[in-house]
Formats: sequence, structure tokens, C-alpha cells
Amino acid sequence: MTNVMKDYFLDLDAAAKDPARKVAWCTSVGPAEILRAMGFEVFFPENHGAMLGATRVCMDTIPVANANGYSPEICSYLTSDVGAYMKGITPLTKAFGIEEIPRPDVLVYNTNQCKDVMHWFEYYAEEFDCPIFGIHPPTNLPGIKQEYIDDVARQFEELITFLEPIMGTPMDPEKLKQCVALSREATNLWSEVLDMARLKPSPLTFFDGTIYMGPIVVLRGTQIAVDYYRDLLAELKDKPAAVENERKRIYWDGMPVWGRLRNLSNIFSENNACVVASTYCNSWVFPDFDPEDPLASMAKAYIKIFINRNDHFKEDYIEKMVEDFNIDGVVFMAARTCPNNSNAYYNLPRKLKNKGIPTIIIDGDLCDLRCYSDEQSTTLIEAFLETI
Amino acid sequence: MMAGTEEIYWGVDCGSSEIKVVALDRDGTVLLKRKQKTLFPLQDHVYHALSGDDGDLSPFTAAGGTDIKAGHKIVATGYGRKYISFAHDALTEIKAHFLGVEHQLDLTEAYSIIDIGGQDSKIIAVDHSKVDQFIINRKCAAGTGAYIEELGHRLEVPLGDMTALAGDNDKKLSLNSFCTVFSGQEVIKTLMNGERIENIIYALYSSVVKRVMEMTAITTDTVVFSGGVLRYHPKLMAMFTETLTEANPRMKTMLAPNAQYSGAIGAAFFGQNT
Repeated sequence: MTNVMKDYFLDLDAAAKDPARKVAWCTSVGPAEILRAMGFEVFFPENHGAMLGATRVCMDTIPVANANGYSPEICSYLTSDVGAYMKGITPLTKAFGIEEIPRPDVLVYNTNQCKDVMHWFEYYAEEFDCPIFGIHPPTNLPGIKQEYIDDVARQFEELITFLEPIMGTPMDPEKLKQCVALSREATNLWSEVLDMARLKPSPLTFFDGTIYMGPIVVLRGTQIAVDYYRDLLAELKDKPAAVENERKRIYWDGMPVWGRLRNLSNIFSENNACVVASTYCNSWVFPDFDPEDPLASMAKAYIKIFINRNDHFKEDYIEKMVEDFNIDGVVFMAARTCPNNSNAYYNLPRKLKNKGIPTIIIDGDLCDLRCYSDEQSTTLIEAFLETI
Repeated sequence: MMAGTEEIYWGVDCGSSEIKVVALDRDGTVLLKRKQKTLFPLQDHVYHALSGDDGDLSPFTAAGGTDIKAGHKIVATGYGRKYISFAHDALTEIKAHFLGVEHQLDLTEAYSIIDIGGQDSKIIAVDHSKVDQFIINRKCAAGTGAYIEELGHRLEVPLGDMTALAGDNDKKLSLNSFCTVFSGQEVIKTLMNGERIENIIYALYSSVVKRVMEMTAITTDTVVFSGGVLRYHPKLMAMFTETLTEANPRMKTMLAPNAQYSGAIGAAFFGQNT
């Protein structure tokens, strides 16, 4: 895994320094296949935000963004990343010897997850005087109508028209088909990896998943991601139980607390509980990709994601996951700076509890550890495990 | 246990403000209760609270040593529960408070526990002698003992005088703010406007009641109050009862026996049954 991510970042760094190559920045559930098919190397600022969170470097960078006009109440991926840029640092230096993040030739975002990505990318558009394109799909959907798919597919076509003069070559439809086919293959394998946790005991935890998911986020549309997940799947088939004495199986909803992955993982395993499934890791499973109909299938895949759906869909989805993975209880992580990805705020935990599914809410954040209490979370999780 | 060995079950509740210790005999009778301020190193102070003074009942075989007498068992709870190396077991304060109340009150109906501690407030719903659901205040001091203590300090009112002062209010003033610092500013502004201290203490209590009641809807007809804050602020407890009864005329409220020691008693009871 380290090598896959290392090679990816080193190549991005080389591309940024090579005038003959172009770098695009893209949101994590954005149209990476289009960018890759056109020959762009793709950087994902959300992935950089997660690295800032996991390394806890963000605790030095968020305050910088706060002091420069970006509120502590908004997305802490944004404030971590923008603060790091303002401060002139990146965790890529320590991890891979890379001096700075790759400068973009174009910025492409998709508001299918939230509108904060728009503010975030607009900051860089101004900062780098760089062209920017936003996909604005319909949001909070109960179901997927053909008109939504047509709308987004049309926006993808506009994006291609926008990108062609930047790249200097037209889109090759065959390359797009190949990229979508590779994304489809990688996402199918990723789904199989996550499904390994249906086994009792499970060979992987949600916390492992947050590490394993790197390539499905940043390397969609490449053979590298396909090979990585094929190897991982084979490896997991021989792996022993992730939690030695698995007695309770937990579902995690919401973002990871990146700076506390190990600590949280230990709390569960010390209490013989395994977090076997999550909304988060499953958000990069896109069964709709179809190389024969690349733009429409991408449109469908990227508007269908959990975070872009209404409350009824989310309730039914989690209920089904609870059944499929034999879950004993659901932990909702209410991220202070990410209300869009926090399903504890609109009564979902209570609705599930009324259906006999035990739930607990822990307050925290994806990056900003000022919004997280180790003591309180430990007590809440342990008390929850004692009572279910 | 071996025949002829005395069986003593110790519960230690390492709270943010005070360490509470109890000892139960094999019949569950409370043999002793001790408490002392939470100081650091925590383990040394827990050791002292457990061993007492010369001649007192102690779980340790010799003064200064940590070997535990045969038949004695120590279970820890509270925020410091994992830092007591000589404890045999540990459990969360949620389960400990539940067991403490359950052990001491023979309630057959569904009930809720409201516990206000030094740094957190909890509501635990119990049904058929099992914890059905629980909630702890979010990461904020309002609605906890720390909030009362901080504002008492700013007003220079000893904690022990608060109940009497709040009872002498002549209007039902309220504080709007969630935040302890903002509440402090609101209190100062109210004082500058010439408000009576009695009404401000009433408002402070009222704010704690509101903050706790918004944590979750209480659906049981019985509420048991637990923890040191309610034990030592009877007016606050009365205000909780008033609010609960207004919302549900069938409401029955009571203070848990040994309210400040509920967690420690629950921990000892857990030790006896595991």
C-alpha cells in the first residue's frame, strides 16, 4: 500500500514539474475518469485533508485558515488544507520527500457531497489564477430520475469541452471507455474487499478500510487500483480475525476521526468489538459504471452516492447494512465541521433505535481534534458496548 | 471465595472532582463510604481513599503495599477508572450508576436516572432492569457541576449557600447562553443592571435544568436523581421535579440513596456479581 501511494504522489510531483504534463485537481467523488482519459494527472485535495488529519499536522494548519477568514465551523478538510497551503507545509514532505503539493493546471469539483468543496476550489482558482469547472448535480435525492442523469451527463460533456483547450487534445472516446472500465473493475474489487467483513470473525475493520481505501479514491480509472485490490482481496482471504475475540459487530456511520484512528480502533478491539462496516468506506462502491455508456453511467454513479440521498434512503440503507453484516449496534460520528456527512443530526439514530437497532452518537470531527474528547468518546463507546 | 474468608467488595468512583469509595459486604450492605478531592497522582489518592486512616477497614494487606487481602475485590469506575493498576476490574460510569440505583432501589417500573457530575451530565433510561439508552452531555460545561462551580466562583457565592439563595428568588429569570463564558458575561451584565443575586442563582439553576432536559426526551414516569451535584443542591433537584411534573403529571421523582456514591456502589455491586 505504501508503495502504491508513494508512487502515485511521486509521479504527481514529477508531472507538476514537467511542462509537458498537466495536473488536474478533483473532488474525491468527482469525474476522475474524464480527467484521466484526457491525460491529466489527478490530485485530490480531500485526500490531502485526510493526510493532514491522520498526521495531526492539521492542528497547526486549521488555526491558520481560521485566522485568515475561514471559520472553525466549516469543513475541516478545507481549513486543514488551505491552512497548510498558507503556512507552506504538506505532510507529503515527511512521508515522501515531496516539497510542495502539485500545482494545478485546472480545478474540477462536484457538489454531490457538499458545497464546501466549491468554496475550497474557488480559493485555489484565485490563488493560482487557474481555470475552474464545477459540476452541480441535483442533491438530497429520494430516487434517481432519468432527467437527473441527463442533466449531469450534459454537464460532463460541457466539462470535456472546457478541458480540451487546456489539454490541447480532444477527448478520445476509447480512452474514456477504458478508464470507466478500469474504475468499474476496481470498484467491484473494492466492494468484494469490504464484503469480506461479512465473515465472522471479520478479517478487516473499518479502521483498516480507511487505509485500504486510498487507491479507490485517488487511482480510479487506472490499472494500478485494479491490481492493488486484486492483491488485497487475495491477502484478506488468508487473514486471521482482525479482532481476536470478536463478540460484537459494529457499523460506523459518518467520517473517520482521522487523528484518532489507532486510539478508536483499540477501544473497540480491547472490548472484543469489531467495526465491520461503514457508510464511509462503502461510499466508493459504484456498481453503475458502464464503459458502454460512460458519461451517463458516471452521472448515475456519482449522483447515487449515499451522501446525496434523502433521509428515507439513508435509513433504509443503514438498516440493510445492519442486516447484511450482522451488526449489533451503530455508532454515529457527528462531525462538527461536516454536517452533510453526519447523519446523527436529523433523528436517524432514534428512528433506527425504534426499529430495535442500538445506536450511539459520538461528537467529533474528521480533522479538528478541538471538537473531539478522547475521554468522553471512550466512555460512550465502552458504555454502549457494555449495554448491547 | 474460600469458606471462612471475609468477602468485601470495593467500588471506587474516580470522578473529576472527587474520589468516592464504598465497601459492600457479601449481603450488599454498605459498610463504609469515603470521599476525597480528586488530586494527582490519581492512583496515590485512590490508594489513600481506599485504605483510609490507621485502623480503618482497608483492602490492602499492609500499609503502603498494594497487595490485596484474600476475599477483597476492587472495581473502578469514573473517568480515572483505567489508571488504577490495583483494581481487579473497571466499568463505565453509565453502567455503574445504573447498577448503583438498581441495587439500592427496588423499582419494578421503567425509570430514568438523571446524574449531574462534576464534568458531565447523564440521562440513563432503564427498562426491565436493563439500560435501554443513555446520553452524556456534549463537549460543553453547561449543565454540569463545573458550570455551577464556575459561576458560583464568579459571583463569590459559596456552593453551600446557593440552594437557600435560589429559594429566595422573586422572579423567574433565565440565562440564554449555552456557553459557560457567555453565561458569565450575561450574569455580569445582569448584575450591572442591579439584579438581585437570588434571582441570578435561580436563573443559573434554571439554565442547568434546561440544558439537561434538552439532552433527550424523558419517556418514563419515574426519575431517580443521582450524583453529588443534585445531592448538594436540593433546590436544583426541586426545580427538575417541577419541570418534569409539568411535562408529565404522573411523574414520580426521588433521590437515590447515597446519591453521591451511586457510581461507587454500582462498581462494588458489579464486583460482587462477576
